[in-house]
Order: sequence, then C-alpha cells, then structure tokens
Amino acid sequence: MSLQIIINGIALGSVYALIAVGFALIFNILKFSNFAHGSIMTASAFLGYLFAIKTKLGLFPVIIVSMLSGGILAILGELIAFRRLVVRKASPIYYFVSSITLGSLYEAIVTIGAGPNFYNYPRFFKKLVISIGNIVISRSDMIMFLTSWLALGLLVVMLAKTRIGRAVRAVSFDRGTASLMGIDTIHHIQLAFFLSGALGGLSGVFLGINYTLYPQLGNLVTKGFIASVIGGLGSMSGAVIGAVLLGLTETLLINFIGSGYAPVFTFLIMLVFLLVHPQGISGSNVQEKA
Amino acid sequence: MKKTIAILLLALAVAVSANAAPASNEVLVGCLQDITGPTSTLGKMIKEGAQWAVDEINKSGGIKGRQVKLIVYDTRGDVQEAINAFKRLCTSDKVSAIIGPPVANIGIAIAPISEQYKVPVLGFAIDDRATIKPSGQPYKNMFLFQPSSDQQGAIMADFAVRERNLKNFGIIYNQGNAYSVSLVGPFKDTLKNLPGTNVAIEVPYQPNDKDFKTMLSKIKAANVDAIYAPNYTQELILISQQARAIGFNGPLIFGLDACPPFASLCGPEADGVIYINNITESDPQIQDISQAYLQKTGNIATNKFFLGYDVMKIIAKIVETVGDDPEAVQKAVENLTGYVGLTGTITINPATHQTIGLEMIMHEIKNGQPVVLKRYTAPTKK
Repeated sequence: MSLQIIINGIALGSVYALIAVGFALIFNILKFSNFAHGSIMTASAFLGYLFAIKTKLGLFPVIIVSMLSGGILAILGELIAFRRLVVRKASPIYYFVSSITLGSLYEAIVTIGAGPNFYNYPRFFKKLVISIGNIVISRSDMIMFLTSWLALGLLVVMLAKTRIGRAVRAVSFDRGTASLMGIDTIHHIQLAFFLSGALGGLSGVFLGINYTLYPQLGNLVTKGFIASVIGGLGSMSGAVIGAVLLGLTETLLINFIGSGYAPVFTFLIMLVFLLVHPQGISGSNVQEKA
Repeated sequence: MKKTIAILLLALAVAVSANAAPASNEVLVGCLQDITGPTSTLGKMIKEGAQWAVDEINKSGGIKGRQVKLIVYDTRGDVQEAINAFKRLCTSDKVSAIIGPPVANIGIAIAPISEQYKVPVLGFAIDDRATIKPSGQPYKNMFLFQPSSDQQGAIMADFAVRERNLKNFGIIYNQGNAYSVSLVGPFKDTLKNLPGTNVAIEVPYQPNDKDFKTMLSKIKAANVDAIYAPNYTQELILISQQARAIGFNGPLIFGLDACPPFASLCGPEADGVIYINNITESDPQIQDISQAYLQKTGNIATNKFFLGYDVMKIIAKIVETVGDDPEAVQKAVENLTGYVGLTGTITINPATHQTIGLEMIMHEIKNGQPVVLKRYTAPTKK
C-alpha cells in the first residue's frame, strides 16, 4: 500500500503546487507574500460556481470564468491595496500587511454573499478516480498535477523568452532603473497580478471540486506560502517542487504520526529551512523580502 | 458638526431602545442558535422550525389570545457570544423559555451559567455534559429534547452488528469536536457487549482537515467491514467521496448529519450510507410541512427543523397550561410526559432531564433517497 501513500502525497502536493505557482509569482516579482491570494482563489471559485449553476456549462468554461474573475479581482486589489505603496516605493513589509487586510476584505465579502454554508460544484467528472491496478488516483488531483507543471512551464518560458517577461523581470530586480529604461512599471505589475489572480482562479476551482466550496477555502494559501519558502524566493520551479515535497511530507506524517501532530512537524521543517537555508531549495539571495 | 452627529446618534439609540421594549401581552420565547458560523445549517433550521410553529400558533389565535414572539440571538459558533446572549434573554428580555442549541460546546458553556437564572433551556446538544453535572445531578434548567449521544451511539452500533452482521469497524472522527467525540465512546462500549466485534482502528482528525484520503487508506488497510464516522455534514461529504475514491466500498455509518440534504450535496457516493435520524421524510405529517416550507422558502426542512418545531409547540402547550412564568414552565418541562410530537413521543426523565424512550430511525441512502430500515426506541440510560 505504500505506493498508494506516495501517490496520495504527490496528489496532495499537486493541490499545493497549483496554489504555490500563483503565490510564487508575486513572491518573486514583488518580493512579498501575497496573503490576499487565498481569498482571491475563494472569490473567483465562487464566481465560477455561480456561473456553473446558472449556465450549466462544463468544466472548461467554468475554469475560464474563474481565471478571468481571479485576474480582475487581483488587478482591482492591486489598485486598492498596493498602488500607493508602489508609487511611494514602500518597503515590502507594507505590501504584506496590506495583502492580509485585502484578503480579509475579499473573504468577508464572500462570506456575506455565500453565507457560512458550503457548496458543491456540479459533477464535472463522470468517474472521480482513475484506477491503475491496485492504485487509485483522483481525476482532479491528476489534472491539478498536470496543470501546475503546465502553468509553471508557460510562466517560465514567458518570463525568460518574451519581451514582456523580460520587462517583468527587470521590474522585479530594480523598479527605479526599470522605469528609467522606459518600462511602464505599473502596467507590468498589473500584468503580474493578473496572471497570479488567474492562477488563483484555476486553483480555486479545483480546490472547490476537491474539498467543497466554502468561504475559508483560501486558508490553504498558507501551504502555498510554506512551499514558496521551502522552494526559495526567486525560483518558481522551486516553489512547485517545494509544494510537492510538502504534500508528500504531510501525507507521510499523517500516516505515521496522525493528523494532530503533522502540522507541527510541517512548520518545524519550514522553520529549519528559514534558519539553515533561507534561500530555499533553488532560490537566490535577495536582500529584502516580506 | 461632530457634536450634532453625536446627539443624533444618541437620539436614535434612545428611539430604538424605546421601540424594543416588549409588549406585555406577548409570550416571549428565546431562541439561542448559531445562525452564522460553522454549524449555522443546524441552528438556522431549528430557528426556522420554531418560527414555523410560532406562525402556526399565532395564526390560530396565539396562546389564550396572546401572540408568541420568538427572540432570536445569533451565537455565531462563539461561546462568549452565546453566554452574553443567554444572559440577555434571561435578564433584560425576560423570556419564558429558551430553545437551545444542538451544538455541544455552546450547550456545555451555558449549562453552569443557567444555574443562576430561572429560565429553562430546551436544547438539543447530545453530549451529556450539557445537561448533567459532573456529580450526576442534572442542571436545573438544562433539558435535552432528542436522544443523547449515549443512546444514539448505542443504536447505531446495535444496528450495525445485529441487522447487518458487521464485525470489524474503523472509526474516523473529529478530535476537536465534542459532538463527534461524544458519539465514539457509546459506539465502542456497545460493541464490547456484542461478541465477535471489534474496533480495528480509530483515526482522529483535526477540525480544519479536509483531506482524509490518507486516514481512510489506513482504515481500509486494517480490513474493516464498515467505517463509522459521526461528524458534521461537510466532512461527511468529503469522507464519502474520498472513501469511495480510494476504493473502500463497504458500508459507511454516519450520524444525524447524513440526513437530507446530505445525499443531494454529496452525489452518487452517498449511496450505501447508513445513518440515524429523528424523523423519516416519508411520514405524512412531516411531508405536509416539508412541502409547505419548500414552497415558501425553496429550502429543504431538515431533522433540526422538526426538533425546533416540536419544542416550540411543547413550550406553547405548557404556557397555555401553567402561564408564562419561567419557573412554572421549568417545572412543567421537567415533568413532561407523553407529548406526541413530530419527532416522536416525548417524555422527560426528571432525574436526567433527558428524554425516555424517544424513537430514532435508521436509514440507508439508496439512489440518493433515504430508505427506512428500522425504528428503534432509545435504550434507557443506565
């Protein structure tokens, strides 16, 4: 049965990986932990849900709607919570604090609208699992696994090879110099937020399918945060690898120690990383991050 | 400008509080429930049931000509909020009785405080600590109007072994939730008295856990016949789906919270779930009210709705007989015998303040619909 446990671990890791990709994007570009990411996931997942029950269309249109709404919510959030900080060149710690309050705002709006109940997406998959011999893999976990690597791949290619990607990277290195070079920093920051929000929408839909949809779904962003820390600032692939490792570790810990103590060990591992190897698995050294 | 605003606010506050003074010819009944918060689906349904009963009573002339007013306070799943609201109901609202919560941690928190006041609390929290003091004596004002966790756990275990011949059980339960924990002990104790049975594995989980696959895999690996999971609806949905996803196809035994709308929320994985309920939906009286409520609000009336309804009707009947003084109501509740309600024939045992012989019905979900399996009379508390 231990192969099944490992598969479960990777499956859980894929859930976290999809969250981590969106989270790490902002972590890398703007050097702060965007804790509003969680509530953007939840809010866009709910908007996708409303779309799903009103129009009864399949999984794909729902994902498109969620991604779009996630992107728009993120851009709106940037305007409300971060624009003035960008303009005033504030230190990353202020972004972090602002993101927490933005997150609370979005979550509160979702709670007022959705009530404290939980909701289920209409059944998108006829069969929930794929069975290979003795092993079962959940369909949505499989899709999350593939999608997070796909999203990662596309993002890395975009950042490395395209002109816009280069501009975004320039903004992340040094905002002042980038704007001196004629790069419109605000627009590129907005682009980064839009992409992060879209990825948040994507994760939200799959989290909703996996765990039912409820206003506190965004609390899972903490796992994305831990994954990014383990994976290292400055590396998106590190965040995804970190997430899969996190999922594996948690599953093994739950299996052998039980669900009560597993989070203790997870956080201990994160603390060890922060103390011993703060640049993470594949990150680079950065002066200031929040 | 600021001074004007302050004066206007003060005037508004005075006006509001003046309007809030109760009309003296109304019968006041308190309703202390989670309307928001994690267990709001339960609390809202009790309130809706109670309100439906109030509307019925008021339409047919009220209690001896007096209209009934339900004063609802939202406890928000927060113990402190609940205690404050309880005190308000007893002291400034001066209600005759309180319809209490089904949630154990709130019930347990209110119980010791209720000793200082005179208002009886007719609640549904099945954990014994909400009605009975550590000394074994009941709290003066706390009453339980559905079978306790001892009785429900015993019924479920008895059914599983005697009717379904299940021998090995795995238990998965929420370690941080009093309701869940209180149903595990009686189940295991009943199994001890049934030869050939055993609990192969017990897996606790934490309140915010949503991924049960690993824990369910452990249970499956222990080769159990059935899984017992006395948890709240959201977790039951995930447990059903994930148990079937990892390939466990044996019976799943759930508590009250697998009643409708669990089956429609969960989908096809709900088939084969066995659960306990206070009512059965096909009962004609239940159906009449369910249909009317569905038409009026578009929502399904759950078992909690009918618990709230019955208790409100009981309070109304008592007030009609003995008047609205809370102490008189308390005495009458303590000695309530043979009230025929929608959730069964209710008699209160004065020694425990809990029900005697109240019926519970075991159901199975087939094709998304509950099917009645067997009616049980709750065993007498030892």
